[in-house]
Amino acid sequence: MSLDTDTDDANATIMDYRGNIPLWRHLRYRHRRLLRRSILYIGIAMVTMAILLPVLWMLVSAVRPISEIITRNPSLLPSTVTVEHFSTLFFDSRFPIYLRNTVIVTVGVVFMATTAATLGGYGLTRIDIPFKRTFARGVLFTYMFPPVLLAIPMYILWSNIGMINTYLGLILAITARVLPFSLWLMWKFFLNVPYSLEESAQMAGATRFQAFKDVALPMAKPGIIAVAILAFAFAWGDYTMALILMTDLDMYVITTGIEASFFAGGQIQWGLVLAGSAVALLPPLVFVYFLQKYYVHGMSAGGAL
Amino acid sequence: MIDVGFSLPVSRERKDALYEFLSQRYMMIALTVLPVFLLFTLILAFPILWAVGASFHDIHAFDPEWTWVGVENYVHYLFADSVFWESLGLSAAFAVVSVTLHVTIGTAVALLLNYTFPYKKFVSAVLFLPFLIPTAILGFGVGYMMNSTFGIVNWTLVDLGILETTRPWFGNPDTALYVVAAVNSWKFYALVTIMVYARLQSIPKEHYETAKIMGANAWERFRDITLPNLRGVLFLVILLDGIWMFFKFDIIWILTGDGPSDSTRISVIYAYQIAFERTALGDAAAISVLLFLIVGAGALTYFYVLEPEEEVRAE
Repeated sequence: MSLDTDTDDANATIMDYRGNIPLWRHLRYRHRRLLRRSILYIGIAMVTMAILLPVLWMLVSAVRPISEIITRNPSLLPSTVTVEHFSTLFFDSRFPIYLRNTVIVTVGVVFMATTAATLGGYGLTRIDIPFKRTFARGVLFTYMFPPVLLAIPMYILWSNIGMINTYLGLILAITARVLPFSLWLMWKFFLNVPYSLEESAQMAGATRFQAFKDVALPMAKPGIIAVAILAFAFAWGDYTMALILMTDLDMYVITTGIEASFFAGGQIQWGLVLAGSAVALLPPLVFVYFLQKYYVHGMSAGGAL
Repeated sequence: MIDVGFSLPVSRERKDALYEFLSQRYMMIALTVLPVFLLFTLILAFPILWAVGASFHDIHAFDPEWTWVGVENYVHYLFADSVFWESLGLSAAFAVVSVTLHVTIGTAVALLLNYTFPYKKFVSAVLFLPFLIPTAILGFGVGYMMNSTFGIVNWTLVDLGILETTRPWFGNPDTALYVVAAVNSWKFYALVTIMVYARLQSIPKEHYETAKIMGANAWERFRDITLPNLRGVLFLVILLDGIWMFFKFDIIWILTGDGPSDSTRISVIYAYQIAFERTALGDAAAISVLLFLIVGAGALTYFYVLEPEEEVRAE
């Protein structure tokens, strides 16, 4: 890594270009190296802790007895581990319904947004269509319409065609939030995948469709993964669209469901809120632990487009 | 399209004929651009046009009658409603504070990630993790951790001697909005990190080596190589994040609602309340269109003046 000066530092001149010897250079090389490494490691450790500690605190608090949740400053480890909140959550509340709704909606959004954005991105870069630039710009322009307020016309429309409180209604609404950005990502992505490969496949006898299916699609994998992650993050974490478009308690998703069930009635049921939140945190944690490779790769590909 | 690991018993000729058929220009258009075009029309263009139409009417949620009122809604909010302007100011304040925090923290983390160190894959996965955590869940967790009677954040600060006594972070009208913006940065700095990190990796290493041979020190290398390379991506991320934060709803709604003495009633919350508490959908649509026009005009100006897109390319 070019910024990592450890390896080539020995060859660097002692003096800077003005002929001064910086204070830094008075240290021995290995001391400099040690100091530099320490600063780097401390920085990395601090930001990693800042992310992990709150998550850990929430997960641990979910297995604390209720008396310990609502008292001052208990230690990081709970005095006794209890699964009471989880059993209430799963056997004595609506939470399983919320969870099921969320899973269905997330799968739907990931499928719909990824498919539409990938195909659309390909079409917009490879096929000669009139007004395609105008169309792509138009899609991006809708990004400037406030998402919450997009839900208001949707609410009127959906209620006219009976799509309030339906999975499809919410899937379409969340897809609308993901679509502009993901189409833009795939558009940029296919612009950077050279068309010459598909052309040579076609010269070797492949049809246009085969060139798309066997050459362009596999090469677009990092972009597709990035869009899928984006769609997952939006759908799994959606609160706003579900708040407006799902009005029946049996159609709430985890985020709106936790709020509606456990915050209601003046007394916040912290045990259940924390247990529900822990369940909502699990898929992202599993994602990061087992799919690290795709996640990091997909995320950085997403930014590079 | 997806390789499922087995093939249907279809003869080669029929398969070729199918691919031939699918390869025709109109079939390719129907397969690729049509789905996204239909989705765009159905779920983006149509509702937005509907909102524009609705903004000229008086509509109430449980009354199917639309009463034409012309530009009255617009005139009302632009000239006769000081709350709208206050909410706009709060939205702008929230966006500015958020974007500043995100860009500072996000860029710093991206620069750290650009070094090599052990367990880097895992650490970077952890640092991108907040992006996947639902904002609402962050809100619930923060509500718990910053609670004024038993919250760990409060008591840690007291034990460290930073605070004298616990305080209700979301109950102070002067600071509530900024505390929410800071909390929100725990999640959204990652957006900046992702884009900056990707750009950093595409800077050719020879540039740094040449600079070093010419005698540039670490700060000069950063100022003359890293920063100019990041210019485009930073402008773009400021634009995207700015729009996003200007319209942020969920975390504010969960943590403070419209806040102590309306101190966090940003524009989208104001419009939400008009739509669903006063059930005046036409009025809310007018506010939506106004926000769209304001942000659209701002974004287009920004875009054409700074041309961020020109410099963002994978290399």
